Amino acid sequence: MSSDYELSDNEYYDEDDDEMMYEDDDGSASEMDVDFKITPSAKPKSYEIEYESLTQPQVEKLITQDVEDISGIFGVEPDVASLLLRHFNWNKERLIEKYMDNATAVSVAAGLALPEKAEPSSSRSRSTGSSLGLGIRRATRRNTAEQPKSGKTKILERVSPPADDQPFVCPICFDDSQTKTLSLSCEHKFCSECWNTYVTSKIRTEAEHWITCMAEDCKLVATDEFVKSALKDDAKTFARFQELVVRQFVSCNKNLKYCPYPSCTHTVSCPAGASKSALTTIVPIVSCGANASHKFCFGCAIDADHRPVVCGVAKMWLQKCQDDSETANWIKSNTKECSKCQSTIEKNGGCNHMTCKKCKYEFCWVCMGPWTEHGTAWYSCNRYDEKASIDARDAQSRSRASLERYLHYYNRWANHEQSAKLSVELYAKTERKMEEMQITSDMTWIEVQFMKKAMDEVFKCRMTLKWTYAMAYYLAKNNQKELFEDNQRDLERAVEELSELIESSIDPESALALRQKVTDKTVYVQKRNEIMLEDTANGYLEERWNWNIAVDGFDEPAEIAI
Amino acid sequence: MDARLRRVNKEITDCKNDKTSKIRVELVDNSPFHLIGSFLGPEGTPYEGGHFEVDIVIPDSYPFQPVKMKFITKVYHPNVSSASGAICLDILKDAWSPVLTLKSTLISLQSLLCSPEPNDPQDAEVAKHYMTSRASFEETAKYWTHIYAGGPGATKGAKVVTATDSASLDEVVMAGLEKAHVDKFEALGFDRSKVIDVLRRLNYRGANVAKLNDDRIVEELLR
Ligand SMILES: [Zn+2]
Ligand SMILES: [Zn+2]
Ligand SMILES: [Zn+2]
Ligand SMILES: [Zn+2]
Ligand SMILES: [Zn+2]
Ligand SMILES: [Zn+2]
Repeated sequence: MSSDYELSDNEYYDEDDDEMMYEDDDGSASEMDVDFKITPSAKPKSYEIEYESLTQPQVEKLITQDVEDISGIFGVEPDVASLLLRHFNWNKERLIEKYMDNATAVSVAAGLALPEKAEPSSSRSRSTGSSLGLGIRRATRRNTAEQPKSGKTKILERVSPPADDQPFVCPICFDDSQTKTLSLSCEHKFCSECWNTYVTSKIRTEAEHWITCMAEDCKLVATDEFVKSALKDDAKTFARFQELVVRQFVSCNKNLKYCPYPSCTHTVSCPAGASKSALTTIVPIVSCGANASHKFCFGCAIDADHRPVVCGVAKMWLQKCQDDSETANWIKSNTKECSKCQSTIEKNGGCNHMTCKKCKYEFCWVCMGPWTEHGTAWYSCNRYDEKASIDARDAQSRSRASLERYLHYYNRWANHEQSAKLSVELYAKTERKMEEMQITSDMTWIEVQFMKKAMDEVFKCRMTLKWTYAMAYYLAKNNQKELFEDNQRDLERAVEELSELIESSIDPESALALRQKVTDKTVYVQKRNEIMLEDTANGYLEERWNWNIAVDGFDEPAEIAI
Repeated sequence: MDARLRRVNKEITDCKNDKTSKIRVELVDNSPFHLIGSFLGPEGTPYEGGHFEVDIVIPDSYPFQPVKMKFITKVYHPNVSSASGAICLDILKDAWSPVLTLKSTLISLQSLLCSPEPNDPQDAEVAKHYMTSRASFEETAKYWTHIYAGGPGATKGAKVVTATDSASLDEVVMAGLEKAHVDKFEALGFDRSKVIDVLRRLNYRGANVAKLNDDRIVEELLR
């Protein structure tokens, strides 16, 4: 995207362009807003946001609309209109304003026309010091003694001086047998082979849709038609080029976001999640139409469902985990010692109920405490005992307490992530189990699907649980936090129980009973997850959550606890 | 013949045939895709009289992607890394055009030596030196040219010093500092090379000397 910004033309952008897309708060009609009709579906839950998924052709249609508008207003070819829009980052209003003001200057800046002869191409004066904050380029420091830079023909002469009667020699490949040449309106001729390699390399290697002339200092830009002819029959590269244009269009529109999953070309439109101020009341998780698993956050750069915690807090947590990764590394390890007999235990399933193979001691993988305590009503594996840190008097033990507090939450965060990963690996195992059940019991293929459903639910809930620990770490200690942790505990316990059921061995006689149990538990877990998400989402709307640290968009915390 | 090879061969021949510009390219290990380019330091600059060598790698996508160049000869210049020889020049990056050649790029490097751009530095310490005290900067650049590029001031038949046998170098001049300053802090009991290191890092030159009080320097030396 260099050329879009490289400019030079401070004089065209009198406002701070680099922030025009994302900075305007609360959906105040920005110039870039596009009206998308969102088909009203069932009333969304409080933790869901309205959005629409668009395919690439659908976005292309929006692009065509803009292009045709401009083409009609200015009376220019659609290809030219497209380049003007791309140059102005699809800001139609500003383009119209500037173009009406001085069409020639805009055309030159957009690489559509050559500068007037009289005006020396002053790459130096316009690039030095100008900082739009983006792709700053400075003046070329080329030797001016040998080649006074004053125009296009000089370049051709310098590289390979062609006498008029001699055949064309391409100034790039020095091949004199090339008969086919191409040039933009600047008439800088190069052989079609070189153009082909150049355009391909720009698109494929540099992911660039703004392709300028190959001549030194020539700013003329290739139209779609020229790109197509340079690429000859390479339809694949041309398709990639079109995708790059779509990507630019999407990135310039704050209501749109490109699906971040590799090689996916879908776009999501989510005006409700587009303003910064919305991010304190909702977590705008969306998924693209190509695949339901392509979940990502519309409000931040996290390519996953990070509900229930809001973007600002999620980001802070990830940063903290990254900063503290070394101290916390040991937790990620897959092995621990049995606290009774000290033999090494390896975790190989998603369930946290561990039984030592040697001494049969049953314990919780997370807190290493006896499992018996976890089955009872006073399950408290999720709650950090703040008392210990209150007791801390001197600075050293305070800092130790603060690390322990962090580790408490990190430990559980990392554990749910790891368990979720392991349960993915367990899929194959479960599938085998399902086949086995079809043989040993009378159940049909459809009837054994409850196992897969249960696994999916466990995975989903572990993701929720994971992020609840990030949230709890930053929640100020008060009644609301206690209620939050009650919900967290209930969900966690239900998930662990379901997880254990999935991993239990099946004998033919009890298969039907197991099915009933798993199905019931799955429904229950689903409900608990719903409660967790719903209550947190409502809490944002009711401004019930207080943080123990300053969070963008929220009130200042009463006291900083960490 | 492969278009890239044909083009590079022609460029090498052009350089060989051109006697006026004094730009040379030599093959490394018989490969036309790894070369050493050289040129003389421009007249009227601290680099005058020096012979500068540049490592050149021709990438697979040449000439559609820029050549890779870095100085082999150590150069004291704001846009060249004093440690690695890496160069900050727009035509080696996004301002590259496929019509540029090895020769024109080397000429651009030569002219870069004439006109440093301290506002877009490759080596921030050198750039600071340049901005604070031009005279002192030029003296240092000249000394580097003399030591590393065989520039004037070298005794007859003096060998070009390589980075490894630097024992005989005047480290203070090398760092662009003043002997009196270094002596002063060394007298406080600090290791000489550490003093040089700290003063260079803090840009203890020209008007900056008055701005940096002794406590600040000592604090840094105690770290
Ligand atoms: Zn060619
Ligand atoms: Zn041109
Ligand atoms: Zn997708
Ligand atoms: Zn987010
Ligand atoms: Zn044991
Ligand atoms: Zn536990």
